[in-house]
Amino acid sequence: MKEIPYEGDEASVAAVALPAIRPVPTAADEGKWARNLGLKDPTGEAARGPWTGEVPRGSWRSVALSLRPVLQHRLATLWGEDARDRVRVHALWLGGSGTRGVHLYASLPEGSLELPTLSPEVAPALYFEREVAEMFGVEFAGSPDTRPLLLHHRHRAPPMRGEGAAPEADRSRFDFAPVEGEGVYEIPVGPVHAGVIEPGHFRFQALGEQILDLEVRLGYTHKGTERLWQGRDPQKGVLLAESISGDHSVAGAVAYASAVEGALETPSLPAPVEAARGLLLETERIAFLLGDVSGIVLDVGYAAGAAQANVLRDRAYRLLESLTGSRLGRGTVRVGGLSRPLPTLVPGKIARELQELARGTEELLDHVQGVSSIMDRLRGTGTVPLAVADALGMVGPAARASGADRDVRRDRPYGAYRNEEVRVARQDAGDVEARLRVKVEEVREASRLAQAFLKRGALGGAVSVDGGVPSVSGERFGLGIVESPRGEFLFAVSIDHGSLQRVHVREPSFLNWPAIEYAVRENIVPDFPLCNKSLNLSYSGFDR
Amino acid sequence: MSETEVPPETRHSSYRPADRVRGPIVTHPFPLGPARPPAGPARTPAHSAQRCEGTGACALACPTQAIDVKGKGRGSSFRLDLGRCVFCRACVEVCPTGALQARPDFELAVTDLRDLIVMHGSPRGSVAPSVPERMRAETQERVRRLFGGSLALREVDAGSCNGCEVEVSALAWPNYDLERLGIHLVASPRHADGLLVTGPVTVNMRLALEKTFRATPEPKLVIAVGACGISGGPFRGSPEVLGGVASVLPVDVWVPGCPPRPEALLYGIWLALGRVEQRLRRGELPDGERTAPARKA
Ligand code: SF4
Ligand code: SF4
Repeated sequence: MKEIPYEGDEASVAAVALPAIRPVPTAADEGKWARNLGLKDPTGEAARGPWTGEVPRGSWRSVALSLRPVLQHRLATLWGEDARDRVRVHALWLGGSGTRGVHLYASLPEGSLELPTLSPEVAPALYFEREVAEMFGVEFAGSPDTRPLLLHHRHRAPPMRGEGAAPEADRSRFDFAPVEGEGVYEIPVGPVHAGVIEPGHFRFQALGEQILDLEVRLGYTHKGTERLWQGRDPQKGVLLAESISGDHSVAGAVAYASAVEGALETPSLPAPVEAARGLLLETERIAFLLGDVSGIVLDVGYAAGAAQANVLRDRAYRLLESLTGSRLGRGTVRVGGLSRPLPTLVPGKIARELQELARGTEELLDHVQGVSSIMDRLRGTGTVPLAVADALGMVGPAARASGADRDVRRDRPYGAYRNEEVRVARQDAGDVEARLRVKVEEVREASRLAQAFLKRGALGGAVSVDGGVPSVSGERFGLGIVESPRGEFLFAVSIDHGSLQRVHVREPSFLNWPAIEYAVRENIVPDFPLCNKSLNLSYSGFDR
Repeated sequence: MSETEVPPETRHSSYRPADRVRGPIVTHPFPLGPARPPAGPARTPAHSAQRCEGTGACALACPTQAIDVKGKGRGSSFRLDLGRCVFCRACVEVCPTGALQARPDFELAVTDLRDLIVMHGSPRGSVAPSVPERMRAETQERVRRLFGGSLALREVDAGSCNGCEVEVSALAWPNYDLERLGIHLVASPRHADGLLVTGPVTVNMRLALEKTFRATPEPKLVIAVGACGISGGPFRGSPEVLGGVASVLPVDVWVPGCPPRPEALLYGIWLALGRVEQRLRRGELPDGERTAPARKA
């Protein structure tokens, strides 16, 4: 029988009053858990990769559900793979700084493509499962939502199986969740919007000015990109990686290239090449985040501030252009290095420009926070509390504004970030103001990092690894994870005899989209654009 | 927020709106004046028939199959479609003879798709002639009369990667300020004289694009933007895309690029209005002076 401490016993009172502190699981805990499950323990270069292993489909759910409380890993992505007579479903779980992550997969034989759903307990699993269901014909038993995600038309067969089927003429049915009650009305918006933005459909349920619910329907920009990669030469695949979401082309290219480099076991790149990639990534981040700053202040009607941010943004794009010839930095990153060395410009001049960009951005924030009519709109608007951000598995500045402490550059350092400490910006409020502050802070940090990479010889110098990209036989797998301006940008690539066999991409927006449905609740309709801009979600990144 | 609750940082603010609006003029004069040359490595491939030895290395390296080389050696034929080109320079880098060079040109918009095809060494007569000069002039004259040099455009993203959106929205930044030219990006097709369409036209966007076009009052112009808008670009060949705006709408002007820089878009819009001459003819750019002179509206 359990002993009940009597009042007055100091020691036992203390023991009862103190909350149980759960230590953050370490790499050692992860290793123990993984070995227990019998997962492979790779050596050499691959040891940086995740613990990998097959799970019988009967224990797919129980393993996933035990993994979360023990390791506190989050579901980073889940994807399907066509293996002729079977479909493999992969799930990648990532944890905090220093852990390697866990990559589990289940094999489903033809004729019984069925797997138990994870979505009731693991919120981000829902979108992933809906995609795998429509693309591979896998049924997730017990799923609460079986509507299509990206496909708007019927296909005779699942498009990612075998030869793949094309869309047919008849559109498939899509029912929005209804909200009923006196005075409740519906506002349908899109896919063609009023501004210069990507297409998507928003279905608001409102009562007066207040939003009761929002449901987002995407898929309008679905281009079948993952299928286009299949069978291609890995080098030519870079263009598609840049075109997942053009506003962070460089991050896409670097994430893809590192996945392929990992799969091909390319020796590590020369330091100047890594520095050059770092410089491009951080310059792109500055330009991107300035766009968010501009969008936020524009949507509260402060046109002069938005113009100011855009002038800075153009300078950042101009800088990227002087480094690569493309304002978005496209066509420069290649598998195994760069297409050519960055031009030998005067490093001092570029450093000064980078400083100016950071200074200008901070000055703008300074002014903005002095205008109470602006701050009043930003404060407490579109709040996403940490618990929600964690439950949704959010990433990037949007997650950090809610207090989530996660940044790939620090947690799983790659390339030039292995030798550079990254100060991760964070706010707790989770509202539009917090997101604005995190973004401005990240511009400053990006400027500092870019200057550090300049010092490491990013300009001129080598282009690629000596001896080029090795051609390897057999089937290889590689992961590439990069902190893009939107957050964790992830590629999983399988290569078979030198050509791409399966490329899965998970753009950060895929995890962050559900946050907007949460953020707008109980906000007023005119604040929707603010929530939208501050989360800056990519439609093309989601739809591909 | 009531007056008594002014946030502390407001009280001693140095904020004066006038300070922010003063400052140097950042608007580039183009197209009313000369363009700033693009910075960094040039990216528009140009082919020299004299130096080409038909190795075909470019065709193998091109990620969008924009290049076709037939035959080997000096007698080979070369075909480059700038409507598919994404200006990545891969072909220029692999060309062993220097026949492919990169130029900084960006005024590449055309009113006839055939003008985007660079063709060398092909047997005579196999190239369809592009629009006769007289017809070009007449069309331009009519457009000028109809729109009077001003244009309201509705932008439609028909499935782009959003790279083109970055550059289209840049047109409204102070640096490019398209409103100074009497061109407006309007919120509704009902207010528009034409559509500026990006993206390869996904199967899922087809209906919305058609409806937007129908909602735009006549007479109307359609400008297809980017490699995607012209040919499907990087996504050409996917069953989920139709492969360019022309698969659904009648297109008046094509603006190559991936994405086209803001100046290239301005040039394309002015070409649609008949306010500049088309520079690219049958894939060839004139040498020498870079900017086409503007014409009065
Ligand atoms: S620059 Fe154009 S033609 Fe040359 S390889 Fe790239 S896409 Fe192909
Ligand atoms: S043309 Fe290039 S930048 Fe424009 S949408 Fe297509 S891939 Fe993106």
